[in-house]
Amino acid sequence: MQVLMAAFLVWSLMSPQGRGTEAWPTHTACRDGSLQVLYQSCDALQDFGFSVDQCPKQLKPNLNIRFGIILREDIEELFLDVALFSKGLSILNFSYPICEADLPKFSFCGRRKGEQIYYAGPINNPGFEIPEGEYQVLLELYTQDRSTVACANATLLCS
Amino acid sequence: MAPRVGCFLLAVLISASCKVITSSNPMCTEKEANKTYNCENLDLREIPDTLPNTTEFLEFGFNFLPTIQNITFSRLINLIFLDLTRCQINWVREDTFQNHHQLNTIVLTGNPLIFMAETSLTGPKLLKHLFLTQTGISNLEFIPVHNLENLESLHLGSNHISSINLPENFPTQNLKVLDFQNNAIHYISSKDINGLEQATNLSLNFNGNDIKGIEPGAFNSKIFQSLKFGGSLNLSVILKGLQNSTIQSLWLGTFEDTDDQDLTSATFEGLCDMAVESINLQKHHFDGFSPSTFRCFTRLQELDLTAAHLKGLPSGIEGMNSLKKLVLNANSFDQLCQINAASFPSLTDLYVKGNMKKLDLGARCLEKLENLQKLDLSHSDIEASDCCNLQLKNLPHLQYLNLSYNEPLGLEDQAFKECPRLELLDLAFTHLLVKAAQSPFQNLHLLRVLNLSHCLLDTSNRHLLEGLLDLRHLNVQGNHFQDGSISKTNLLQTVSSLEILILSSCDLLSIDQQAFHGLGNMSHLDLSHNSLTGDSMDAFSPLKGLYLNLAANNIRIIPPHLLPALSQQSTINLSHNPLDCTCSNIHFITWYKENLHKLEGSEETVCANPPPLRGVKLSDVKLSCGLTGTGIFFLVVFVFLVIILLIFSVKFLLRWKYQHI
Repeated sequence: MQVLMAAFLVWSLMSPQGRGTEAWPTHTACRDGSLQVLYQSCDALQDFGFSVDQCPKQLKPNLNIRFGIILREDIEELFLDVALFSKGLSILNFSYPICEADLPKFSFCGRRKGEQIYYAGPINNPGFEIPEGEYQVLLELYTQDRSTVACANATLLCS
Repeated sequence: MAPRVGCFLLAVLISASCKVITSSNPMCTEKEANKTYNCENLDLREIPDTLPNTTEFLEFGFNFLPTIQNITFSRLINLIFLDLTRCQINWVREDTFQNHHQLNTIVLTGNPLIFMAETSLTGPKLLKHLFLTQTGISNLEFIPVHNLENLESLHLGSNHISSINLPENFPTQNLKVLDFQNNAIHYISSKDINGLEQATNLSLNFNGNDIKGIEPGAFNSKIFQSLKFGGSLNLSVILKGLQNSTIQSLWLGTFEDTDDQDLTSATFEGLCDMAVESINLQKHHFDGFSPSTFRCFTRLQELDLTAAHLKGLPSGIEGMNSLKKLVLNANSFDQLCQINAASFPSLTDLYVKGNMKKLDLGARCLEKLENLQKLDLSHSDIEASDCCNLQLKNLPHLQYLNLSYNEPLGLEDQAFKECPRLELLDLAFTHLLVKAAQSPFQNLHLLRVLNLSHCLLDTSNRHLLEGLLDLRHLNVQGNHFQDGSISKTNLLQTVSSLEILILSSCDLLSIDQQAFHGLGNMSHLDLSHNSLTGDSMDAFSPLKGLYLNLAANNIRIIPPHLLPALSQQSTINLSHNPLDCTCSNIHFITWYKENLHKLEGSEETVCANPPPLRGVKLSDVKLSCGLTGTGIFFLVVFVFLVIILLIFSVKFLLRWKYQHI
């Protein structure tokens, strides 16, 4: 009995140490017949929630998304970096300002570190058709001093 | 019995060893010795013993403190700034900050507060900033009013507040910022605003509250520094409600994700009955323009129409004579003349940044803006083959011009003759086409700052910078020099008043010994991210007291005769160079250790050679080269012994020989 107790004690004391080293689970952002978008948070500190309302192969402009996260930084200034890869080759890189001091595009701009935000609304994207294949997308949201707000490793499967 | 004791001992031992682990485990980071610490995301349940009593600024967010009380921070009585963001605080007990007389800022953002005791904030003598953002507050009575007399900013965003009516005894005399972002405030009454009577120069933020009504006369003869009603659906309700108020800055913009109504002339009627200096209407749609749209804008000094879907501004707007600053960023003009600048004769600042279409500068579009001092035309896809005298006709007072991030510009000789008072000119990331031997900046005698980074300059044109008599700051980052070398005669020799010179990322391989001759005023020289070697150090010998950045070059060995050129500078950065840590570089390594106080980035200044020392900080390298004192001693002893041995053997040999004769 005591041995069991001691073992339990050891286990309960040791287990919190291992936390945080594991990767965050992979989530499905959308799944629609021929297109599937999976993502995984690459921020060591936290996971986040994301989904796209509809994701047909022919992406419509101004998609609606849902996004929930706890802010680790003030987001008066917020930028998005996107890097798209296919078969290990880089296809596209771009950087886009989401919140700027002189142009807060979205209503959540200016919210503070520690706030939980939930955004359900349009993202002002252009419409385009996704060619068949598998793509890796690295998305990063960061502030003016390059602190990470969110980071995602996404996979697009289009058949 | 014995196994029981054994198990108990085992358990005790393990728990003891774990304690040791947790206390030496994730540590707070020291940002400023004995003063500033960051302990975020460490799963701490108390203030760690490792924090010194002298701590003044403490970031303690994302830990676990369900209850905070007077013993929680009792040791850190010098605290000035305390950030407790998202620590799962439920209870703030009596006298928590009783002994923290210097505490000036408390951040409680994102904590599920259940109750704050009456005396929970008493103690600090000058509590100025209190953040109660997203703490679940629905009633302002929740905030304990004792000791808030000195409060300058109160942040109450993202709560469940529906009325801004402050409790009667709430002190507001020093309040400057009151933030009600993202709450559920739909109505503002006279009583609400009267509660803020004592505050002067107050800034109120109602962004993200859908204000549906304001009691008539609520803002009567009230004065505000700034009012924000961002994302409100009905602007005319707000403008009518602000009747007879005086407001420095009024923010009425909307957002991508907010539905909005088209703005008409009727929307702005209320503006006639109030005094506003500056107004922001970003991202709105205008329902066409009639002559009366801007009827009530006549007293405005600043108008911001960023991303307002504009293709032009109507001609013949009357009465906007007092407008000083106009922001038209992120709109869709085809030609600069479409802004009909003549309507704003007093304009000093004009921003047309980030135009969504290719912007044609046209000719003489701004010629009526004689008072213009600041013009920003960056990121607007501007392309011009012969710039800029016709385009910038008659801007005699222009001091600041930003044409960065545009398409190629062909600069003529004396390209800025029309704006002779320019003090700052930014052309970064705009490809400049200058014909050989021409001097586009000629006559800019007052220009102090010139940014030519990544302009694909023809640096072999020695007349390029001619005429810049007062230039202090020159950035030529990312341009290329012939053969990767700055020669004895170069384009810098005409700008002798230079104080700051940036030549980073220019693919430089070498710099001539006399390249910087005549630049005696220089105090800051950035040569980072090139391929320079130690041999280029000679170029600094005419310069003294420089901040010299040589990071990320190809410096391996610095010969001893070049060290004096480094010694006379005030700060040097040699990080990210493939430095040699063998005896062939011993003089430099010795010099480096003696001059550590002058060196910047010493953490990243590491050896590349020999392989065993790769990655070792230069300041930690210990080399023994040549003969040391003990070495010499042993050598002398050895030689002495050899001589004695030799004498004896000769003696012995001779004796042996004579004996056998």
